[in-house]
Amino acid sequence: MTGQALVPLRPGPWLQGAGVLGLLLAWEGASQASQSHFVLAGPSQILERLRLDGGLLLRALLATLRAGALGFALGVAVGLGLALTAVLAPRVERPLTTISLLLFCLPLVATGPVLRVILGPGIGPQVALAALAVVHTTFTTVLVGLRAAPASWFDLVRSYGRTRWAELWQVRLPASVPYLLAALQIAAPAALLGAMVGEFTGAERGLGVLTIQAIRSLDVVGAWTIATVAAASAMAVHGGLGVLGRRLDIIPPPVLLAPPPDPPVRSPAARGLALLGLMGFVLLLWQGLMDALALSPFFAKRPADVWAYLVAGSDAAVHRQTLLVALGETASHALPGALAGLASGAGLAALLVLAPPFAAAVLPLSLALRSIPVVVTAPLIVLGLGRGPAGTIAVVAAMVFFPTLVACLSGLRHASRPILDILDSYDAGRIRRLAIAQLPAMLPALCASARMSIPAAILATTTAEWLATGRGLGSHMAMTAMTSDYAALWSSIVLIGLAALAAHAGIAALERALLARFAPEQLAP
Amino acid sequence: MTRSAPTRRQLLFTAGSLLGSGLLGVRPTHAQGIPVAMQLSWLHSVQFGGSYIALRNGYWAEQGLDVTLLPGGPNAPVAPPLVAGQALLGRGAADYDAAAVAQGAPFRIIGVAMQKNPFCIASLPANPVHEPRDLLGKRLGMALINRPVLDALCALNGIDATAIEIVPTQYDAAPLLQGQADCLLCWATDLPVAMAVQGVDSVVMLMADHGYEIHAQTYIATEDSLAQRRDEIVKLLRGEARGWQDYRKDPAAAAALTVEMFPDLGLDPEAQRIQAERQLPLMFTDVTDAHGFGWFTDESVEANIRTLALLGQEVGPDLWDRSVLEEVHGN
Amino acid sequence: MATDRPPSIEVRDLSKSYGHGPHRIEALVDLNLRVEAGRTTALVGPSGCGKSTLLRLVAGLETPTSGSLRIGDETPEAVRARGDLAVAFQDAALLPWRSVRGNVALGRALAGLQRDRTAVDALIALVGLSGFEERRPAELSGGMRQRVAIARALAGRPRLLLLDEPFGAVDELTRGQLHQDLAPLWQAQGTTTLLVTHSVAEAVRLSDRVVVLTPRPARVAADIAIDLPWPRGTGIGSNRFHAFCDEVSAALRDSGGDQRLAAQ
Repeated sequence: MTGQALVPLRPGPWLQGAGVLGLLLAWEGASQASQSHFVLAGPSQILERLRLDGGLLLRALLATLRAGALGFALGVAVGLGLALTAVLAPRVERPLTTISLLLFCLPLVATGPVLRVILGPGIGPQVALAALAVVHTTFTTVLVGLRAAPASWFDLVRSYGRTRWAELWQVRLPASVPYLLAALQIAAPAALLGAMVGEFTGAERGLGVLTIQAIRSLDVVGAWTIATVAAASAMAVHGGLGVLGRRLDIIPPPVLLAPPPDPPVRSPAARGLALLGLMGFVLLLWQGLMDALALSPFFAKRPADVWAYLVAGSDAAVHRQTLLVALGETASHALPGALAGLASGAGLAALLVLAPPFAAAVLPLSLALRSIPVVVTAPLIVLGLGRGPAGTIAVVAAMVFFPTLVACLSGLRHASRPILDILDSYDAGRIRRLAIAQLPAMLPALCASARMSIPAAILATTTAEWLATGRGLGSHMAMTAMTSDYAALWSSIVLIGLAALAAHAGIAALERALLARFAPEQLAP
Repeated sequence: MTRSAPTRRQLLFTAGSLLGSGLLGVRPTHAQGIPVAMQLSWLHSVQFGGSYIALRNGYWAEQGLDVTLLPGGPNAPVAPPLVAGQALLGRGAADYDAAAVAQGAPFRIIGVAMQKNPFCIASLPANPVHEPRDLLGKRLGMALINRPVLDALCALNGIDATAIEIVPTQYDAAPLLQGQADCLLCWATDLPVAMAVQGVDSVVMLMADHGYEIHAQTYIATEDSLAQRRDEIVKLLRGEARGWQDYRKDPAAAAALTVEMFPDLGLDPEAQRIQAERQLPLMFTDVTDAHGFGWFTDESVEANIRTLALLGQEVGPDLWDRSVLEEVHGN
Repeated sequence: MATDRPPSIEVRDLSKSYGHGPHRIEALVDLNLRVEAGRTTALVGPSGCGKSTLLRLVAGLETPTSGSLRIGDETPEAVRARGDLAVAFQDAALLPWRSVRGNVALGRALAGLQRDRTAVDALIALVGLSGFEERRPAELSGGMRQRVAIARALAGRPRLLLLDEPFGAVDELTRGQLHQDLAPLWQAQGTTTLLVTHSVAEAVRLSDRVVVLTPRPARVAADIAIDLPWPRGTGIGSNRFHAFCDEVSAALRDSGGDQRLAAQ
């Protein structure tokens, strides 16, 4: 029986099929039982809607896919460029990481209108938001890949007296290919989400447009059908990339960890100076961008406007109070949601290792749910769980849960083989295998998930607040945009950015401490 | 379907250009005139039916305008494209317009499409709200950002707002149907229509009938545009007025045109038809009969200023500018 | 096990294959072998002959495709379930987040023995790592890690010790030192020891008996008793030692495995 436990999570296709079928039946049953509640639509209703409105949905899908694909290509190109820059010029890595994280954390509700003005009518905002949703994950993932070669390879290239460029061509790029593929797989659903949200800034067709119509007009079946179509297409791209990888014989990379680089050992004063420099650079970039595009100060606020609103102005104390209360409310949903998502993702991963047949049914489902854009799920989940904290927390947890599950399963599978053999030779049993060898091996993946969960939690919370609950900073930002209070909107963005950076730094420190203990090899340069 | 061909072509063109800045709005295929854009406040729907009629019947083209109707959306505030000069005219509402002006946007309201504000309290016949007093002790589902609207209604009718239990919702009818709320604060032209299409009858208490006077679906322009592109603005509003006169005669045809022009929006023909009917009494009143589409009187401006004060917004009558309307309806 | 005595191992017509259809690999075919109780038996043979597979089968880490494998009068699973066997691989397989003491204590815990810090520290001292109790594996050299792995294996007081190239990853000098220090430990405990190795000298040095296997499918090509006196620390380099080495090498050569062995 140990023999089976050694190769878990590779159940037969029929078992997988049975699992999926069971879930479909459960879904159908639940939808039948809750018909009068306007919450859930079942597979049969969705199929019927697909039959009736297939043409419309297909046109919408194509419109969204087109913008999503353009943004995907653009975002991946930028992410790749950033990663290459960081490898060739390691000094700029930290500023690049910070800026790409900040860009990734920009709330959709805030960027949309600005992009609409900058890019004008057309699919510009859709493309740009899709690209923005992709850059950060591509950058960080590919950067890991560019470093994922053994030190001996670099020594080999250097022993021939070759340059950094040769190193890049001969070692880094080939080593990064599997990671690039993984980055593309992560990017595909994100680009789709970006394109859909872009449509919220004014569009005539697309899945995002249909989502608004469905939710406004109480069309529960429509909302679920769109969710299904969006998830299916994201899964198709994801799966297609997987097939491509297998065709090209690309071995999936072990774990996408990439703990943030150790801060260089410097005096506190020097560190403070570097931080100030980085902040100054970001502010300059902000000011410069607004000025270069000649954006009206009415809606395109500059650093000085935010400073006046939050610090220097006459009502600054009131403003701070309002925004901090809203931020607190948002954090009170984002934090428990992220923790619940991390705990349940890691917990389920552990459970699946204890009971492999479960994995057969759960893994395809988790991929499907991960691919459903949050703009569709948020209103649906809130519809089901109500507008209290529970609904928002569930939305956040769902966003964080699936990537965590996948990463943690991968981490569990990378527990050291010889150690597991030793444990098996004592007949240690699944629970002890898990506790002694597998859970510690999972920790790096859990840390990486926690780091990645920051932008996800921000995105999910503000989106749920904006589209469904009408509370917290997400709703506040939507309201300030409606009432033209752009100083408040930009100040909210700054606060969110600062909160994200603080959370990121906190998790990174925790991660370094954990990795130093449990996976020292992950910290090797 | 005459629309889909050019837009598709434009789409390809846009996809080809790097970030896609080609025009995607709705524009007539034949028009060769001065390009002018109007920013709508929401996704295309029969809410803007008069504009589609004007476009389809060439009311703008014959005046030498090449008009683009820019769709709005949940993340598409009207003010930025106006301030940035991308749109000449925008569709606002007196309260949002006042807020934008307070933030430094140089807007003027030059016309009012909805004489009566569409905000209403919608309830189910079994537990109806016919007048503000009926709200006492009820659970009212509403988006929290509309809190000032409720407070204004209570102040106007002398009822105690604290005696109403507010259920925070976003903008959908589900809480009422699921029994989480007894009534909803919403627009008379959307959620009650959605419920009607689902076969659910509702009782609609229009807040405009109880003192809540806020001009809705206003036409706004910047002072700059009014000074420099006045002629185009007059022509734009003139075509708009003609379109809405046609609309009034046959709202069902306007609904059908909307569905035909925007086949990719998934508009429900039945919902569009009901909405087209229901917005008629809000748009056409004794005032418009006497003075023409979009008109507003000094009295209604005074009433708006009073209601806005209750909403915490101090504005003067110079937010409104009737000169364009006078020109439009003068000849 | 009925008694506390170390068990013998009886292998009859043992076969093991992996995969299916065209991908089927026969790792072992009808192997017959007997390992005596309480002695150290070394298995040498060319790479890929199946000796590691045999070790894994004995450890109960794999199940035979056919044939029988008895340890004493029990199955490997039964022995394993009681914590009566221990293995050590070429990879020390230490838990990187546990100290030396923690890793050795794990061997006791997994074998179902009571916590006993004194016994654990005594073992650490026996393998020559006193003073390193609190260090983590990353801070140790390869030879030191291997000492920890052996200590962990011995910590559970196994009656059957299975060693798969335990010194394969350490340098020649360190290996000699480990031979001298560690072999007496398991001999003192009176375990039955099965040692898989590539090195002829190591086999002769550490065992009472060397079993030479043929290339796949493995058969017993020679069974050579090494009656050098214990302890052997001083006898290495003697003529008799070299004679035994020559005999084992000749057996390997005759079995057709020498070239592959040399290629290692």
